[in-house]
Amino acid sequence: MDSLRYQKTTTGTVETKLMNVTCETFDNLLFEGDAFSMQVAAQHAKRCQACAEKLASWNEISDAAREMRTTWSNDMLWPRIDRAIRAEKRQSRSRLWQIAAALLIFATLGGVAWRAHQKMRAAEFDNAILRASAVDQVEAAEKAHIAAIDRMEKIAEPKLEDASTPLMVSYKEKLILLDDAIAECQTNIDRNRQNAHLRRQLLAIYSEKQRTLQEVLREGNHVSNQ
Amino acid sequence: MHGVAPALGLASPVISTETPTRPTRTASDEDVRLARACAEGDTGVFEQIYREHGDRMKSMAYNHLGNVSDAEDAVQETFLKVHRAASTYTGEAAFSTWLYRVLINTCYDALRKRQRRIQEAPIDDFITSSRPGRSVDDAKRMTLRKMLAELPEQRRTVFMLFEVEGLSHAEIGQILNISEGNSKWILFATKKQLREQWKRNS
Repeated sequence: MDSLRYQKTTTGTVETKLMNVTCETFDNLLFEGDAFSMQVAAQHAKRCQACAEKLASWNEISDAAREMRTTWSNDMLWPRIDRAIRAEKRQSRSRLWQIAAALLIFATLGGVAWRAHQKMRAAEFDNAILRASAVDQVEAAEKAHIAAIDRMEKIAEPKLEDASTPLMVSYKEKLILLDDAIAECQTNIDRNRQNAHLRRQLLAIYSEKQRTLQEVLREGNHVSNQ
Repeated sequence: MHGVAPALGLASPVISTETPTRPTRTASDEDVRLARACAEGDTGVFEQIYREHGDRMKSMAYNHLGNVSDAEDAVQETFLKVHRAASTYTGEAAFSTWLYRVLINTCYDALRKRQRRIQEAPIDDFITSSRPGRSVDDAKRMTLRKMLAELPEQRRTVFMLFEVEGLSHAEIGQILNISEGNSKWILFATKKQLREQWKRNS
């Protein structure tokens, strides 16, 4: 019933629209290409020889094209595609495993490297503490030694101030030179606290100063006794 | 669509009524399910797709590449590409439309790889038409095939998809990434050109 009504309506519309179609606007119908437009075009072609020829070749092309739809049967094609898909699935799965294995190896190597680095840092820290404590001990000993020498110097000071003999004058000059050497050595040690050679050198100069002060005191006592 | 006609030098369309003879299907839940199954490599779903669309795919590929062997290779390659890219299916077009787009692009790739046009490839004559009652003789079919081979890629594809495979302009637009109106215009211009050659050949 609906199709009948549609046909009736369509026919009515075709007749109405047909009055507006000219040979110049005929291409518009072909451009639209839908069933309704082609129906109007066919109606117009009945009254116009040129448009009828146009429409005939137009439809002939469409008919020939529809028959270009080709098909053939190949029972081997689907199994071939199936095999290819399965092979690809296997490949992608093994690729996933490869990636996972690579990630695992990378993580393990990273962990080992991190642990080694941590160990190295801890060892460095321990060494630094050891070095620092050794230097502290040396410096404490040095301070005690210097304090003792300073006390001795204070005792010898009045004797050196009143240097009456040439020997005492030479002791005084020697002590001035030793003090200069101590100051220079101390400056160098301040720049490099861990230089053992400089510390030994400083100790040697202090020892020399100690011996000189002992000789000054001995000589002073000898002079006063005379 | 109406904007295309003046550009053609055509008068404003007299008839604006458009009967949707070739409805366009948009993506459904089933399409999304198919795409997911393809991404997971479900061969049962691939077989279902092959049973449903295999014949049309073979026909499309054959009409682009000109021989059975290349057409079958293109169909196989299309299934592999679908397996690889199904996870990127967004559902903006029907799954079948997306499938045909992959196929057409595969055919273009194959043509470019071969660096030769369809007329240089051997055209198999043993292929049978899918229509049992044939109204057009073989000579005309062969003439049309040769004429199509001389057309630019896009024009040939629009003609093939509409006239041979019966797809709608909306579907063709989605497959070739052009507008529906553009597809309609390309078809009209192509048929006009073919009609001139057809008349000369007749």
